[in-house]
Amino acid sequence: MRFITFILRRALHSIFVLLGLSIVIFIIARIMPGNPARMAVGPRAPQYVIDELSRQMHLDEPLHVQYYFWLRDALHGDFGISLVTRRPVADDIKEFFPATLELTIFAGLIMAGGGIFLGILSARHKDEWIDNVLRVVSYLGVVTPSFIFAIFFLLLFGMTLNWMPTIGRLSPGVSPPPTITGLITVDSLLTGNLNTFLDALWHLVLPGVALAMGGLAQDSRITRSTMSDNLTKDYVASARSLGIPERVIMRKFLLKPSLIPTVSILGLDFAGTMSNAFLVETIFNWPGSSRYGINTMLRKDLNAIAGVVLTMGVVFIVVNIVVDIVVGLLDPRIRLAPQRGE
Amino acid sequence: MKILRILSAITVLALVVGLVVSCGPQATPAPAEEPAEEPAEEPAEEPVEEPAEEPAGEQMLRVTFSWPTYIDPAVGSDYSSSASLCNLYDTLVFPTTEGGVEPHVAETWDVSDDGLTWTFHLKQGIKFHNGSELTASDVAFSMNRMLEIGEGYAYVFLGTVESATALDDYTVQFNLAKPSGIFLISLVRLYIADEEQVMENVSTPGPYGDKGDYGKEWLLTHDAGSGPYMVKEFPLEEYLLMEKYDDWFGTFHPDAPDELKFIGTTEPATVRTLISRGELEITDQWQPVEALEALQEIEGVDVAAFPVLTEFYYMMHTKKPPLDDIHFRRAMAYAFDYEAAVDLEWPGTQQSRGPVPIITAGHNPDVFVFQRDLDKAREELAQSEYADQLDQYPVEVHWITDVPAEEKWALLFQANMAEVGIDVEVVGTPWTAVVEETADIETSPHIVTIYVSADFPEAGSLLKVRYHSDAAPTWSQNEWLLDDELDQMIDDSLTTVDEDDRYAKYRDLQDYIMDLCPSLFLYDQVQKHAYQAAYLDWPAARGEVIPLMGLVFYAPRIGVAGP
Repeated sequence: MRFITFILRRALHSIFVLLGLSIVIFIIARIMPGNPARMAVGPRAPQYVIDELSRQMHLDEPLHVQYYFWLRDALHGDFGISLVTRRPVADDIKEFFPATLELTIFAGLIMAGGGIFLGILSARHKDEWIDNVLRVVSYLGVVTPSFIFAIFFLLLFGMTLNWMPTIGRLSPGVSPPPTITGLITVDSLLTGNLNTFLDALWHLVLPGVALAMGGLAQDSRITRSTMSDNLTKDYVASARSLGIPERVIMRKFLLKPSLIPTVSILGLDFAGTMSNAFLVETIFNWPGSSRYGINTMLRKDLNAIAGVVLTMGVVFIVVNIVVDIVVGLLDPRIRLAPQRGE
Repeated sequence: MKILRILSAITVLALVVGLVVSCGPQATPAPAEEPAEEPAEEPAEEPVEEPAEEPAGEQMLRVTFSWPTYIDPAVGSDYSSSASLCNLYDTLVFPTTEGGVEPHVAETWDVSDDGLTWTFHLKQGIKFHNGSELTASDVAFSMNRMLEIGEGYAYVFLGTVESATALDDYTVQFNLAKPSGIFLISLVRLYIADEEQVMENVSTPGPYGDKGDYGKEWLLTHDAGSGPYMVKEFPLEEYLLMEKYDDWFGTFHPDAPDELKFIGTTEPATVRTLISRGELEITDQWQPVEALEALQEIEGVDVAAFPVLTEFYYMMHTKKPPLDDIHFRRAMAYAFDYEAAVDLEWPGTQQSRGPVPIITAGHNPDVFVFQRDLDKAREELAQSEYADQLDQYPVEVHWITDVPAEEKWALLFQANMAEVGIDVEVVGTPWTAVVEETADIETSPHIVTIYVSADFPEAGSLLKVRYHSDAAPTWSQNEWLLDDELDQMIDDSLTTVDEDDRYAKYRDLQDYIMDLCPSLFLYDQVQKHAYQAAYLDWPAARGEVIPLMGLVFYAPRIGVAGP
C-alpha cells in the first residue's frame, strides 16, 4: 500500500514537472533567433502574409499571453499547427512517435538482454580473457556515438554485404498493416500478418542495434560490476557451502539484487535513446519523432518544438515510474520501507 | 556450459572483428573503397529480380532530396517542392532549354498594346487526374488562390497581376497593374489546380473566410493536378511516391518511369548505400565533393555537373563601416583569390562574370570582372578613409553553417584579406539567424555568404531580388544599396516588353552594379548529381538543362531502361 501511495505521489509530482518543462521550453524556443512566421511562409513572402501568420500564432502578444493561449489549447490536446509539416502537431506526433517508440523498444530489448547477458558473462569469468575482451568492447561501445555505429552497420551490412535493408520501416511493395498501435510489428501480429511482421522486424535490426550499442555496453559494465561485488558477499559463500549449484546461485541469489542499478540506468538509457535517436533516424530515413523534433527545432517551429519536448518529458516520467516499480519488485526493502513521516 | 562458452567467445570475436573492419575509411575514397565496387554489380540487378518491389516490367526513378516537400501549388517553392510540382501539375507555358517558353496548356496568347492585358487560349480536352477537364476557370482559380494565400511563388505575381478571369471555358485573361517583360516566363510557376476538387476538400473554419483553409490541409498529401504524374503515397517524413498518369496530354519518353519516388534524405552514407545497391537513380545536389568522388568509383555511376542559375555571393553591407567606403570594397574585390575559390569546387565551375550567372538570358558578356591583384588592392585601400585605422575596423564574414562547405571559402577570404592588412573574423551562423539578422539594416553583418538563384532564366529576375530596395530587408540582399536610380532602372527593365530592349537594359544594370562594387561574385554554381549512367537517359547529364529550379527532374523526359 505504501508503495502504491509512493507511485501515485510520483505521478502527481510529475504534473508539476511537465508544467515547469513547458514553461522552460516555451521561453527557450521563443528567444532562439529567427522569426518562425517568416521561416514558415518563405523569406520572399510579402510582409502582410508574415504579419497575418504572426497574428494567428499570437507572436505579436507578450510572452505570458502567448503561453496562456498555448496552454489553454494544449490542455485540449491541441498543440497548434506545425510550420514545417503545415498540419496539427498532434497529428504529427501521432504519426511519428510510434515509429520512434518501436525503434526504442527494440533497442531497449537489445540493451537489456544483451547488456545483462554480457554482464553476467563478464562477472562469471572475472579477470579472465573473456572479461578483458568484453571490457574493451564495452568501452568502445560507450565512447562511440550511436550514429557512428549506424553508419558502420549501414555500410557493412547494407552496402558491402548487402544483407540488410537500409531505409524505412518496410520494404517497397509491402503494405503496412491497419493502424492499431502504430507499431508495425505489433499491429501486424495483431492482424495476423506474419510476412509484414518479419519484414518490419528485419528493418528494425540495423537502426535498433546501432541505437542499443551504447546502452548495451554501459549496462553490461554495471551488471558486471554489481554482480562481482555481490559475489563476495557472505550469503553467496553460505549458499556455496550448502552445496547449491553455481548456476542456481547466479540465477536465484545474485541476479535480482545485481539488476537494481542496471534497471535504473536502463530506464534512463531508454528515455535518452528515444530523444537522441535523431541521427540514427536520419541515417536510416526512419520517420520518427526524434528526427521530426530536430527538423522543427532547426526551423524554429515553435508549436512542434513544444509538442515534441513535452512528449519526451512524458516519456521520461513514465519510464522513471516504471523503473521505480520494477526496482521495487526486485528489492522488497524498497517497497516495504516506511515512508517519510511514518 | 562449454557450448555456452564457445558460443559466447564466437559472439565476442565476431563483434571485435566487425568493429575492426569498420574502422576503415568511409567518407573518402581509399583502397577500402575497392571491395565496394564488386558487390555493386549484383545490387544493380535487384530491381528486376525482386518483383515485390514493383510489378514486372515497371520502372522506377528514385531521387534523393532535401526535405520537407510541399506539393500544394500555392505553397511549395523550394527545390524538392518545385521538382514535385512540375511533375504533378501543368502550366500555361513550359520553359525550354534555351531559356524561353513554349506553349503547353495554352495554345496561343495575345497581349494588349499597353502590355496590361494578357489573354490565353487553352487546349481542349486536357484532363485532371480525377478525369474532369481543365478549363479557363481552373487557371483563374489557381492564380487567384495563389495571390490570396501569398505563399510559395506568389511573390512572383504579387504587385503585377491584378486579376485573373475566365472569359469562357478555354479563354483566360490576366489584367496586370503594370506592364511586365517577365510575366510570360513567370507563368511557368503558375501550376493549374482543379478548382472543383480543391474546393470540395476545404476545411472550415479557416483563415480565408468562406473558403476555409482553401484546401491547404488536403493538398499537403494530395494533388489536384493534370500533370504527367500523380500522387500515389506521401508519408510526409519519408518520401513522395508518384505514378504515371497515362491520360496525360503530353508525350512521354518511351522509357519514362512508371513511378517516381522522391526520397527525403541527403545523408552521404545512406545515399551511397542506396545507389550502390541500385535502389537510387539520382542523388541530391548536396552531396559533398568527397562523397561524389566516391560515388563515381561505383561501376555504372557517373556524376552529372551542369551550370544553373545560381551564383555564390559575398554580400557586402554598403552602409556599415568600413564597407560603406567604395575603395575599401574594391580593395577586397581585388585582394580575393577567385581562382583558388573556384578550385575548391567541382571541375567545370567558373568564376562569375558579374552579378548574374553567365548562362542567364540577358547576361552582359562585357561586364567588368575583378581579378586578384594585390597591388591594385593596396592602391584602393590607400584611398579609403579607413586606410590608417584598419585595426579598428575588423570585418565579420557570416557563413551559413547549414552548408558546412562554405567555411572553406570564408577561411580563404580571411587569408586573402590578411595579405593586405584587413582583419577578418569568420563567424559560422545558422540559416535561421541569417534570415533574421539580414531583415534589419542595424543587425545585418558586414558580409554574408549566400547562394542565390534566379527564379526565371532572365537577368532581371535575379537583379531585382538581389539589388532592388524592396529586397533589402530579406536574406537575398545584405548590401542595403537603397539606390533610387538603381531601383528605377530595375523597374524600367522589368516593365519593358520588347526582349531586345529589355536585355539591353539588363546589360546597363550590370555595368552600373559593378561600378558600385557591392558584392564579391565568386562563382556560378555547378549543380552536381551522381546518377546511374548505365541505364538512365537523363537529358541534364547530356547538357540539355532547363534552367529552372527543379525542372531537371521533369520525369516525362527521362528514360529508365533498367539495369
